[in-house]
Amino acid sequence: MCDSCGCDLTTNHHSHKTTAQVIDVHQSLLAANDAIAAGNKAHFEALGIVAINMISSPGSGKTTLLEKTIERLQGQIKIGVIEGDIETDRDAQRIRAKGVPVVQMTTGGACHLDAAQIHKGLHLLEQEPGGDQLDLLFIENVGNLVCPATFDLGEHQRVVLVSVPEGPDKPAKYPKAFISSQLFVITKTDLLPYFDFPVAEATADALHLNPRLQIMALSAVSGEGFEAWLDYLRDITKNQQG
Amino acid sequence: MHEMSLVQALFTQLASLAADHDKHRVLTVTVAIGPLSGVVVDSFQFGFDILAAEHSLTKEAKLIIINPPATFQCLQCGHNQIAAVRPDSCPQCHETLLIAEGGDAIILNQVEME
Ligand SMILES: Nc1nc2c(ncn2[C@@H]2O[C@H](COP(=O)(O)OP(=O)(O)O)[C@@H](O)[C@H]2O)c(=O)[nH]1
Ligand SMILES: [Mg+2]
Ligand SMILES: [Zn+2]
Ligand SMILES: [Zn+2]
Repeated sequence: MCDSCGCDLTTNHHSHKTTAQVIDVHQSLLAANDAIAAGNKAHFEALGIVAINMISSPGSGKTTLLEKTIERLQGQIKIGVIEGDIETDRDAQRIRAKGVPVVQMTTGGACHLDAAQIHKGLHLLEQEPGGDQLDLLFIENVGNLVCPATFDLGEHQRVVLVSVPEGPDKPAKYPKAFISSQLFVITKTDLLPYFDFPVAEATADALHLNPRLQIMALSAVSGEGFEAWLDYLRDITKNQQG
Repeated sequence: MHEMSLVQALFTQLASLAADHDKHRVLTVTVAIGPLSGVVVDSFQFGFDILAAEHSLTKEAKLIIINPPATFQCLQCGHNQIAAVRPDSCPQCHETLLIAEGGDAIILNQVEME
């Protein structure tokens, strides 16, 4: 605390010349992003959409999970997807091949999606056939377990995914993604016989960070654990619309 | 490096504060970075130094980073601990499941300008 002016600057290097002025701001650096995120959320709700933000390292199986989910929920829940990648629209092409509305947002180097990109993406999605009457919107974030966790997109649910080959230490090493998520999905459980991945350890570490976290384990290849995932999706879309 | 996005947001705020108050030089900037914010303080400082050097408004600006603590509430007995790093367990009942409150903010607290 500065004795001269009572400001909470911890150094005494600042002068009290007449021209210098200390301005109290106390505003989040994320304020601009968060305001747009709140707008996105209102927009989702006006359209009756539940939005899920999917966060994981590259290659954890996000796009594969979406492909299988679209197949399994066809005719039950109207799904749309916003794909985030640094470059290319390959993931969007994979999703489009499944016959659902999708837009690709490329960040051009940025390691995360922000709320403004989702705002833009949502308007682009509305122009796609069927994109104006969705129940469930998946946002596949840029593959990165660190940076996307800081940026609220206006989603209702945040899902963090870790695949079996990545190892069980990810919750402990990347806490923010686990603290800020509602659901943790362990993917590629068909590979458990080949990797040292004690599910109990990963689960305990994740719950230690966030005792409210819901946890499931599944495989897009064998289909193991898929029913619980589909039930979760049916449940959150029912709650939103009901 | 999402710290760079945050530093850019900071510089946008600094430019508009300077314009609002008719100031031309930023002397000190105080930013509070919570322990659960997911921000690497060194990366933030690094980004700040790069961007500060690029603008005459901030060429001499000093960044002061403060680390406010978070509150960790015991899931079992409700006991609150205030700490900068996550405690292993509750000192009252030894429960290991603690819910973090706060500590995830990244706040521009104060700016000194002339
Ligand atoms: N064994 C196995 N491989 C999977 C599974 N899900 C995805 N993969 C593979 O993991 C790789 C990366 O998957 P992808 O969905 O593109 O990951 P993303 O980067 O998170 O979108 C691909 O080669 C997939 O075929 C799974 O459940 N089991
Ligand atoms: Mg993908
Ligand atoms: Zn980053
Ligand atoms: Zn306790």
